[in-house]
Amino acid sequence: MKPEEIRVEGLQKRFRTANGHDFVAIDNLDFEIKAGETVAIVGRTGCGKSTFLNILIGLEEPSAGRLLIGGKTPYGDFDRLRGKMATVFQQDRLMPWRSALDNVTLGLEILGCSRAEQTERAELWLNRLGLGGHLHAFPHELSGGMRQRVALARGFALQPGILIADEAFGHLDEITAKTLREIFSSLIREQGNTGVVVTHQLEEAMELGDRVLVFGRPARLRADIPLAKLTQAQRQGLRAEIQNMLKED
Amino acid sequence: MPEGAVAASATVPTPGRAFSLPWETAVSLLVLAAIWEVASLFAPPFAVPGWERIGRAVLGLPLDSVAITLARVMVALVLSFAGGLAVAVAMYSVKPVERFGMPIVKLLMAVPVVCWILFAVLWFRWAEMRIAFVLVVVCAPVFIVDFLDGMKGVSKDLRDMMWSFRPTRAQFFSKLIIPGTLPVMFTSWKINLSLAIRVVTMAELVGATSGVGYGLVVAQEVFSVAEVFAWTLVLVACLFATEALVGYLEKRMLRWRV
Repeated sequence: MKPEEIRVEGLQKRFRTANGHDFVAIDNLDFEIKAGETVAIVGRTGCGKSTFLNILIGLEEPSAGRLLIGGKTPYGDFDRLRGKMATVFQQDRLMPWRSALDNVTLGLEILGCSRAEQTERAELWLNRLGLGGHLHAFPHELSGGMRQRVALARGFALQPGILIADEAFGHLDEITAKTLREIFSSLIREQGNTGVVVTHQLEEAMELGDRVLVFGRPARLRADIPLAKLTQAQRQGLRAEIQNMLKED
Repeated sequence: MPEGAVAASATVPTPGRAFSLPWETAVSLLVLAAIWEVASLFAPPFAVPGWERIGRAVLGLPLDSVAITLARVMVALVLSFAGGLAVAVAMYSVKPVERFGMPIVKLLMAVPVVCWILFAVLWFRWAEMRIAFVLVVVCAPVFIVDFLDGMKGVSKDLRDMMWSFRPTRAQFFSKLIIPGTLPVMFTSWKINLSLAIRVVTMAELVGATSGVGYGLVVAQEVFSVAEVFAWTLVLVACLFATEALVGYLEKRMLRWRV
């Protein structure tokens, strides 16, 4: 599936709190993610990253402004965007009653692929992620890192235009997280998906993103930083600058 | 656990164990039987008949009555299950259906079984209809409440993950909510089996001309105490057998549970 571009125009999200006050979770966001580009979004806890993600996935509707994926809105065009996006979440969120193989076929079943195609694609991706020997294992029989690999395979098997990672490696030990980040990074470039990586770890953002978007509180764009042509020294300087930005918030 | 290692503690239960009788169960039942036999030596036979008399009475029971009662229970439970599932799905999907429907369900659960039996006698002429009505009106609300609780218990994380794939509403239920509610469904079946076997006997006592309940009435009318105990024994055995069958299916279908 061809990569999709994402356009965010004047996006706002307000919630009504229990005591009747308005809480602004996202305040006038504007940016664009080009097709095939990987963007990392960083921000402190409570800066509205999750709300933005919910709008991007289509779980919530914006209060004002709009978010367009290839000209379609994720909430309003729910069915028309089926198969075009996949998300890898913080926890693996595998169905405990399904084997690794059947967890990977889930998105393909929803898409209406034939059983043979589902199995073929799921086996291919589980093999690529080093789980060829565990196709029929249940999630409780796998380690945390292996479960997250299954979740990655579930996302890539859909061959989506957009792949979203929501704190996908934050809960793993450093070695496993680094390995999976490298796999994710190389696969997303190989497959040409548009990537959206939401994280609170600056290191991860700079490793995975072509650009880093820094969210302030409430979610508004504080900085939009291209990383592609930066030297190692420039990256170090930038890291300190972003850290200061986040501390100020 | 290190990356690449398969969980060593993971054990998959073997389905066959559902039918085995734990030795503790066997011992406690044997002790109870021995106490009964001793009591029968001292008490009059019309109050506590011995095992030999009860055994002869069991052999003389018409087995078709047992089959009829079990068939009634199964048909009513299948109807209650299907209806209960449909209502629970409607309540889960449309909040007003739950808000308006749940008080009625709770009202149905509060009415004593004896009252339902009397209503059935007043409202229906056909005995099978009376029995089916009583069983469904008693068991379906239990299924509804249990299923709705089970559906609400499916984690938000899994629900959000599922919605991120943009399923149709039917796919959302068939691939997530129903499989996620399966453990609760089995528990509910076990509770309702026990309830239905007790209720069907009461309904047959007053509204039928066949089945175990009717057999109990006849035995009581001819003062055959051993036969009353024999029917009771058969009912308990039926309950244990059907529960073991559900337990076997549960272990097979929920083998993913740790």
